[in-house]
Amino acid sequence: MARVSIAQVQRRLLFLLLVLIGAVALLAARLAYLQLWQNEFFQAKALEQRLQRIPIEGLRGTIYDRNGVPLALSVSAHTAYAIPAEVEDPEGTAEALAAILDLDGEFILGRLKKHSAVEWLKKKVTDQEARAIMAANLPGIGVVPSSTRVYPYGSIAPQVLGFVGIDNQGLEGLELYYDSFLRGTPGQTIFERDAQGRALEDGVRGYLPGQRGGDLVLTLDIFIQRIAEEEVRRATLETGSRLGLILISDPTTGEILATAIYPTFDLENFADYPAANRKNIAVTDTYEPGSTFKAVTAALALQEGVATLRSGFFDPGYIRVSGWNVRCWNRGGHGSQSFVETMQNSCNPYYAKLAIDLGPERFYEGLLRFNLGHKTGIDFPGEMGGVLRAPSPSVPLVTWANMGFGQGLTVTPIQLLACFGAIANNGIYTPLRYVKELVTAEGSFPPDVPEPRQVISQETAQTTAYVLRSAVERGSGKRAEVPGYDVAGKTGTAQLVEHGRYSHSKMVTSFAGFAPKDDPKMAALLVLWEPQGAFYGGIIASPVFARLAEKVLTYMGVERKATARSSGVKQVSVPDVGGLSLEEASAQLARQHFRVEVVGPGDRIIGQVPAPEAVVDEGSLVYIYTDVDHIETSTEQPNPYGA
Amino acid sequence: MNIPRRYWRNLDWLLILAVLCLTAIGMVVIYSASHSQLAAAGLNPFHYVQRQALAFVIGLVLSIVIISIDYRAWKRWSKLIYLASIILLVGVLVFGKSVFGSQRWMRLGPLSLQPSELAKITLVLALARFFEKEENALSMKGIAQAALLTLVPMGLILIQPDLGTAVIFVGLFFTMWYVGNARLKDLLIAGFSLIAVGVGVVVASLQGWLKVIKPYQLTRILVFLNPYADRDGAGWNVIQSIIAIGSGGFLGKGVLGGTQSSLHFLPANHTDFVFSVIAEEFGFLGSLFVLALFVLLIWRGLHIAAIAKDTYGTLLAAGATSIFFFHLIINVGMTLGIMPVTGLPLPFITAGGSTMITSLMAVAVILNVGLRRSKIMF
Repeated sequence: MARVSIAQVQRRLLFLLLVLIGAVALLAARLAYLQLWQNEFFQAKALEQRLQRIPIEGLRGTIYDRNGVPLALSVSAHTAYAIPAEVEDPEGTAEALAAILDLDGEFILGRLKKHSAVEWLKKKVTDQEARAIMAANLPGIGVVPSSTRVYPYGSIAPQVLGFVGIDNQGLEGLELYYDSFLRGTPGQTIFERDAQGRALEDGVRGYLPGQRGGDLVLTLDIFIQRIAEEEVRRATLETGSRLGLILISDPTTGEILATAIYPTFDLENFADYPAANRKNIAVTDTYEPGSTFKAVTAALALQEGVATLRSGFFDPGYIRVSGWNVRCWNRGGHGSQSFVETMQNSCNPYYAKLAIDLGPERFYEGLLRFNLGHKTGIDFPGEMGGVLRAPSPSVPLVTWANMGFGQGLTVTPIQLLACFGAIANNGIYTPLRYVKELVTAEGSFPPDVPEPRQVISQETAQTTAYVLRSAVERGSGKRAEVPGYDVAGKTGTAQLVEHGRYSHSKMVTSFAGFAPKDDPKMAALLVLWEPQGAFYGGIIASPVFARLAEKVLTYMGVERKATARSSGVKQVSVPDVGGLSLEEASAQLARQHFRVEVVGPGDRIIGQVPAPEAVVDEGSLVYIYTDVDHIETSTEQPNPYGA
Repeated sequence: MNIPRRYWRNLDWLLILAVLCLTAIGMVVIYSASHSQLAAAGLNPFHYVQRQALAFVIGLVLSIVIISIDYRAWKRWSKLIYLASIILLVGVLVFGKSVFGSQRWMRLGPLSLQPSELAKITLVLALARFFEKEENALSMKGIAQAALLTLVPMGLILIQPDLGTAVIFVGLFFTMWYVGNARLKDLLIAGFSLIAVGVGVVVASLQGWLKVIKPYQLTRILVFLNPYADRDGAGWNVIQSIIAIGSGGFLGKGVLGGTQSSLHFLPANHTDFVFSVIAEEFGFLGSLFVLALFVLLIWRGLHIAAIAKDTYGTLLAAGATSIFFFHLIINVGMTLGIMPVTGLPLPFITAGGSTMITSLMAVAVILNVGLRRSKIMF
C-alpha cells in the first residue's frame, strides 16, 4: 500500500485521542455520581449489609382478672440461636447442643449447616439450659432473651383468654384481640459481620432491649368464673348435653364476670383439643333463643303500649296468623290468662299476638335498639351479629309471629344477656365487654367500647322485671328460685335448627335472668345444647341457675332478704381468713367444720369464696386463693449476654 | 548489543513512568485485597504480590528483548508468529486447563500461560503487516482478508469461551483499519452492520430463538440491564462493586480500609474487580489519578503512532495502544455497572501473570516504534 498522507493519519490518531478522552470523561462522570453524589447512600448500604440484627421480643403483658389476680403472664425464658457461618465444628456442636437442649442432634445439625445468617434452634429455653449453653462456649451459638406464657391458676376462662403461639403472638381470644397492645416492642441485638456472616471482633455491637407490652385488667372475676366453670361442667354432664354455657355479667356496667364453656380445654396444651372446644361461643356462635326471648317482646309491647299489665288473653292452644295455625307448646291451651300469667305459662300464641300487634316495623326497630341483628362491638375477635330479617313483603306475617316467642331469629349469648341486662338496669342497655382497663407504663385507660343508652323507659323496664320475677316465683322458672334473693328470669326451650329444619330430637334449653330483682348484682344466661331426656328449660336449666345465683351472690356478699330459709341445715357465717397464714386459715376453717380447697401456687392468701361473713350451710366448701409471688415476673430484662 | 545513544533519548519516559506507577499501585491494591483471605487460608499474604512482581520481571526481560530488535525486522516473521499463536490457541483448547468453566490457561512449567492474551499482540503484528503491505488492502477483498485474519483467532477464543477478549479483537480490527486509512463510509457500514448483528443475536437469544450464547452469558447481559434481577447470584458482583465504589467517597477509606473488599463482600477483588478496591480505598481522587495514568499511557502510545517512521510503525503502535484503551473502558465500565460483566483484566493492576507479561510486551512494541522514529527536524 502506498504511504498515505501523514497529516491524514495524524488527524485520525488525534480523533482516537478525543474518543479516549470522551470515554474516560464518561467513566469519571459515573465515578463522580457514585462517589460524590450518592456517597452517603452507598455508605449506608455498605454498613447495612454488614449489620446482622437478631430480634429480641418484648415481654408480653400480663392479663389480670378484675381483682388483680394474674391469669396469664409471661416469664423470662431464652431463645437459642446459631450463626451457621461461625460454627467451627458442626457435628461436635450439634452433639453438645442436643444434650443441653434435649433436642435431636440431626435436627440441630441440619440447622447449623443452613446457608442463612441466623437460625433459631429452640425457643423457651430455661435459665438453666441457657447457662449451660453459655458455659459450653460454642462458637457461633448464642442465646437471646425471650419469654414463655404461664397460667398460675391453671386454665381459667381459656376460651376468653385465648392463647399465644411459639413466637408469643396472640392466636385466639383476647390474646389475639389485644395482641399488639400486649406484645410490646421488640428490641434487637446488632453486630457487624463479614460477607460470610462471621462477627467482626472490633465491629459495631449494639443491644436494644425489648419493651414490655401493656397489661390487661379483665372484667372477669376469677372466683365467679370458677363457680361458673364448675356449674356448667356439672350441668352439662348431668343432662348429657353436647355443650354448655354460663355467661354472667354485671347488668349495671356491662362487665362480663364469667364465661364458662364445657367441654373446655387446657391453655398449656391447647393443640391437644379440638378447635370446637376453644371457641368462645358466647360471642362467636348464634342460636335461636326460644322462650327467653319473650322478655324482649314483652318489654317492647309494654313500651309501645300494645299491652299493659291489665291485658288479658284467651289461649285455645293456637293462634291463626294469615291462614297458619301458630301452636302453643301446651296443645290444650292455657285458657284465660292475665299478662303476667302469659309469661308464667310461657304462652306462645300470646307473644305471637304481641309481635303482630306491634307490627313488623315497630317490632323490628325495637329489636335493632336492643342491638339484635348486628354486632355489639364487644372487644373480642370473631363476633357474630345474628340473623334478624328486615320487614319486607317477602317476609310473611307468620315469621314475625314466630319471632315474638324467639323463633326465626338468632342471637349470640352476649346479645341476649345484654337485653336482660337492659331490663334489669332500668332500661339502660350497656354493651357487654371483657376488658376493664388497659394498663401501660404511662397509666391506664378504659377500652374503646360503645356507650350505654336508654332503650326502653325505666317504667317499662321495671314492669318487665316484675313480670320476669313472677315467672320465677310462680311460673315455669320456679326451680330457679333462691331463698332470700329475688330472682327474675325466663326459661327457654327451642328446637335446634339442623339443615334448615327444626329437629324433633335436638333441643337448646336455657335460662336467662338476673338477681336480686330490685338491685341487680348479676345477670346470667345458661344455655345447654342437646340435653338428653327432659329438655324443658324449666326442668333442667332453672335449678342450675338457682345454684349458680346462690353461690355468686353469696360470694359477692349480697345480703339475703329476711325471709327465713326453709332448709333444716344449720346456717353459719364464714370467717375472714385474710391476713392469716395458709396453715392458720385452713386450721380455723376446719375447726368451724368448713371444707377447704386451696387455689393458687403461693403461700399468701389473696381471697376467699364465699366472702367473709356470708351466711352459708354448715360444712360448705370454702375456697382459699393464694398468690403467685414466687414466680419470676420481673419486668426488667437486663441483657445477660454482654453484647 | 549495541544500542545507539539517540535511542535512549527517544525512549518515551512518560509512558514508562505511567506503566511503573500503575504497576506499583497494582501491587498495593492486590496486597490490600488479598492479604486477609490468604492469611486466613494459612498462606503467605504476599503470595499474589510476589507472583505479580515475578511476572513483572519476566515481562521486563521480554520487553528488553523486543525493544532491542528493530520492529521493521519483524515483518519477515509476521506470518510465522501469527501461525504460532493460532497453534497455541488450538493447543489450549485441547490441552488447556479449565477455570470457572472456560478453557483459557495452559501450564508451562511453573507458569500458566493465557494464549489469548498473547494473541492480541500477534494480531496487531499481523494486521499491521497486512494493511501496510497489501496493495489493495482497502478493497472489498482486502478487508475481507483482514477480517479473516481477525476472525480465526477470535473464533478460537470464543470457543474457550472468552467473550471479553473476543470483543477486544473486534476493537483491534476496527482501530487498525481506521488508522490504516479506511474509507469512512466502509468503516461505518461495517461497524453498524456488526452492531445490528450483535443486537440481533442477543435479542434472538433472549427470546430463545438462538442457542449460540451460553446461558451464563445471557444472564450477565440481563443482569447488566438490571443487577437486582438476580441480586444474590450474577448481579451480586456488580451490586457489591457499586456499593464499594459509592461508599469510597472523595478520599476513600484508606489502604487496607475497604470494608467491602476486606470483609469479602466484593468478590474477585484482586482480579476483575480490582478497580472497585481502588475506588473504595483511594476514593474519587485516587480513581481519577489511575484513570489519568491510563490516559497518559494511551496518549503517549498514540503520539508514538503519529511520529512513527513508517506506516507499519504507526499501525503497530496504534494497535498495541488500543488494547489498553479497550481493556480500560470495558473493565472499569464493568465495575461501575455501565458495561456487562466480562473477565477482562485491568492492565498492570489486575493480579495475573499473563496479563502483566503481555501488557509489558505491548508497551515494548510501542516503545520500539518510538525508539526508531525518524529524526525530528527542528
